[in-house]
Amino acid sequence: MTEKWRLLDTGLHNAFYNMALDEAIALARSRSLVPNTLRFFRWDPSAVSIGYFQSMEEEVDIQACKQRDIDYVRRRTGGGAVYHDRDGELTYSLLIGRDHRLISDDFQETYGTLCSGLTSGLKRLGIPAEFKPINDIIVAGKKISGNAQTRSMNVVHQHGTILREVDPTLMFTLLKVPNEKIRDKLIRSAEERVTSTNRYLRREVAFEELKEAFITGFEDAFNIELVPGEILEFEEKLSAQLKVEKYATRGWNFKR
Amino acid sequence: MGKAEYKVKDGKLIRVQLVKKENRIEKVKITGDFFLHPEELIEELEQALAGRELDESNLAKSIRIVIEQKGATLLGASPEDFTRCIVMAGEKDD
Repeated sequence: MTEKWRLLDTGLHNAFYNMALDEAIALARSRSLVPNTLRFFRWDPSAVSIGYFQSMEEEVDIQACKQRDIDYVRRRTGGGAVYHDRDGELTYSLLIGRDHRLISDDFQETYGTLCSGLTSGLKRLGIPAEFKPINDIIVAGKKISGNAQTRSMNVVHQHGTILREVDPTLMFTLLKVPNEKIRDKLIRSAEERVTSTNRYLRREVAFEELKEAFITGFEDAFNIELVPGEILEFEEKLSAQLKVEKYATRGWNFKR
Repeated sequence: MGKAEYKVKDGKLIRVQLVKKENRIEKVKITGDFFLHPEELIEELEQALAGRELDESNLAKSIRIVIEQKGATLLGASPEDFTRCIVMAGEKDD
């Protein structure tokens, strides 16, 4: 019988709830309250997230974010600063027990395995994507997805982006650049190094179509069945708490 | 305070802010888009480096020992890359 995982589609939420719910699911998974889980989500308002080890002041133009009502949040995972556009990105999270067959002691190997679900989904859309170590997925040499992983409490948590539309000019308005002189150069280089489903396929790919492709992509690559499920009350309560006490606080977001 | 930035070839970006006193680290902050597991080890590592001499090979050894003792994993950068950026920041703190 095919192994069953929970599928969550939590829709549009702000950055603090989004990050809090990921951590709440990780804890629920570690207590075996829930099965392994694939979650899809989006960001409303659009937001910038930074990696655990980054400095908010160094990476993010706070004023530019405030002017546009864009949130900023520190992730529990490492990696770089990302602009999550409300309509330009589908975000996913995987929460998997540490002892699962897909998980290796080796982080790099596990990135490769888990990202195979994404490349499989992209291929279904007609995008011949491939995994590029350390943590990217590229098509025709351009990045279309970035991913970040952490482990705690015997649970592997990987989340990442699936770019639907890209706007490098906006991205480099919100992220800090070393100096104004190179801003245009960075924008041009991002135009060349980053792509999206809509750009590559030269058509509008609806969020529903994206999700369907990735559901089948993950099912095929992982040999699992994704069963639509609900957020537990435990997860809902914990995420509300983590949102207020951690992810929405200045202490957490500016701690480095 | 000295600041330095170091891009690891085929890896990640490391940034260091450092205050030194007589060629020793008084305070250091290591930021960047690398991965360290467990994440909280970064604060412990920064504290462990306080008081150390700004000597490239000894620093790299200290960082490696902290990481190995904790069974930690560093991805996208090496202890030598961290050290290089720390020493660069030290040279700028005058």
